[in-house]
Amino acid sequence: MSVVELIAVTKVYTLPRGSLTALDQVSMSIDAGDFVSIMGPSGSGKSTLLNIIGCLDTPTSGKVVIGDEDVSALTDEELTRIRRDKIGFVFQQFNLIQTLTAVENIAYPMRLKGLSGHEARSKELMWSVGLSEDLSENKPSELSGGEQQRVAIARALANEPETILADEPTGNLDSKTSSAIMELLREMNERGTTIIVVTHDPVVAAYTRKTFRLVDGRIASIESVT
Amino acid sequence: MIFFEFARRNLARHKFRSVLAVIGIVIGVLAITALGILGNSVRLSASEQLHLIGNELVVFPYGDASISEDQFEQIEKVAAGAIPVKSGVDKVIFNEETALVSVYGLRSEDMPNLLERADGQFLKHGSSDCLVGARLADDYEVRVGERVTLKTQKPRIVGILQERGIGFDINPDSAIIISDKLFEALYESTGYNLVIVKLESVEETEAVRTKIEDRLNKKEQVVMVMELKMIVEGIKNLFNMISLFLLGIGSISLVVAGVSILNVMMMSTVERTKEIGVMRAIGTSRKGILQMFLFESLILGAVGGVIGAGLGFSVGYLVDVLILKEASYLFTASSIAYLILGVAFGIGTSVLSGLYPAWRASRLKPIEALRYE
Repeated sequence: MSVVELIAVTKVYTLPRGSLTALDQVSMSIDAGDFVSIMGPSGSGKSTLLNIIGCLDTPTSGKVVIGDEDVSALTDEELTRIRRDKIGFVFQQFNLIQTLTAVENIAYPMRLKGLSGHEARSKELMWSVGLSEDLSENKPSELSGGEQQRVAIARALANEPETILADEPTGNLDSKTSSAIMELLREMNERGTTIIVVTHDPVVAAYTRKTFRLVDGRIASIESVT
Repeated sequence: MIFFEFARRNLARHKFRSVLAVIGIVIGVLAITALGILGNSVRLSASEQLHLIGNELVVFPYGDASISEDQFEQIEKVAAGAIPVKSGVDKVIFNEETALVSVYGLRSEDMPNLLERADGQFLKHGSSDCLVGARLADDYEVRVGERVTLKTQKPRIVGILQERGIGFDINPDSAIIISDKLFEALYESTGYNLVIVKLESVEETEAVRTKIEDRLNKKEQVVMVMELKMIVEGIKNLFNMISLFLLGIGSISLVVAGVSILNVMMMSTVERTKEIGVMRAIGTSRKGILQMFLFESLILGAVGGVIGAGLGFSVGYLVDVLILKEASYLFTASSIAYLILGVAFGIGTSVLSGLYPAWRASRLKPIEALRYE
């Protein structure tokens, strides 16, 4: 069963100097429980693809299915709900909310959804991403980069999404912390979460089982590790 | 309420800026409440001092003449119970002190209808005694039973009147009142200086006025009829205008405060663009963002409004005690209403100023906001 399916997805940006085709008839399918990477040089359409899979943007044409929902033509409100419930985001710059403490950042998606028991579950998530409980009341500015990314991963897991979308998750980290974060993502994948990593770093891509290479808005190759 | 919590923390994050924005609201609300309470107190104190009765008509002679007995009878036909008044100014000696005061000659039967006693009694029919107004009695320390000297006569004071306030018909507070007969004898006067007509209701005044005018001013104008209602309304309008003017001054400072809040909120939405993008990306709805910013302006307005109203009340209290020497005006419903109005204006201005920035923030596209550095 696939958690993400794209069928002939095209995204055209209208610019003052003419139109730009960022994605050109891209079709791909990502199975539940998979661990994949999307690679490509800058300008290849990586970010556009990530935004479309992440329901932050809608395609000009083609069909996008997340889980069992066709999201190609949903309203802003419906897309917001899918982002909250079905997708977990991990960003290069961690992007934690500065006014919230570590544990509150993790609890935030659950509070948005109106889940009860979010405090206990946030603590549990902290533990599962390898953060000491002493850090729970710290603001993001009081945490190291690696700690912030762990909080971000815990936040992404909060509403038990089917898929985690990680955009250069190790881009702002040193190599030792990077491998720890990738190990953590691998662990989360082994527990059943589908993980999609967008990266240009081959070391990061090596953690994944399948790599989609994008060139000029098209999928140039798919490499699977067997 | 998570978005309220966000709002509170975001304001706390920029304490100095939030305090400045609040100060603007405080000044605006302070101006509205203090000026409102002040205007209201002045109005209340004035209406205590003015003797204003809306259902009265006063008939004056036109020109130098007086109203003749004949003309008075004509008036009485239209308005039963009309009260004829003779008046003049003369030197009166109280306990060897001479004062220039108003002297009124009234029919004894009219006195209870027009005046109120503080002490003693009214004049009996045919009496050659007198009544003294409250102010005069106070200033010259005269008591019932004493005598005053008026021309050749030495009438005895049989009653002291209650304070009536400044009136547009008669002003008995600083006057002595004698019978019409005595007045006639002393001053050889024949006609009346004015006629007071008391009516059942305010609604009748215009009709009766027209009737009197039609009857007496047939050939030429001999009388002038004044409706006290019009004066009462004129004064009310004047005070309403003063109140509005003061409120206007207060509102200007609130508008300035509103602009400063708009500015603070715009700055804050631009600064937090990236954070808004993150919040939207992980599933915060537009409504949530809108609420967060509206709560921020609500908090600014409520804090500023309450502080401003508190200060406004204190200033109003000081002014009332120091200038009007009466603090009771503060605790009237109309003064309290200005406090509520002030807080409401403060919150209203603030929320209104926050609407556009909040709306703009909620319409940001998540991808573009995320990319913002």
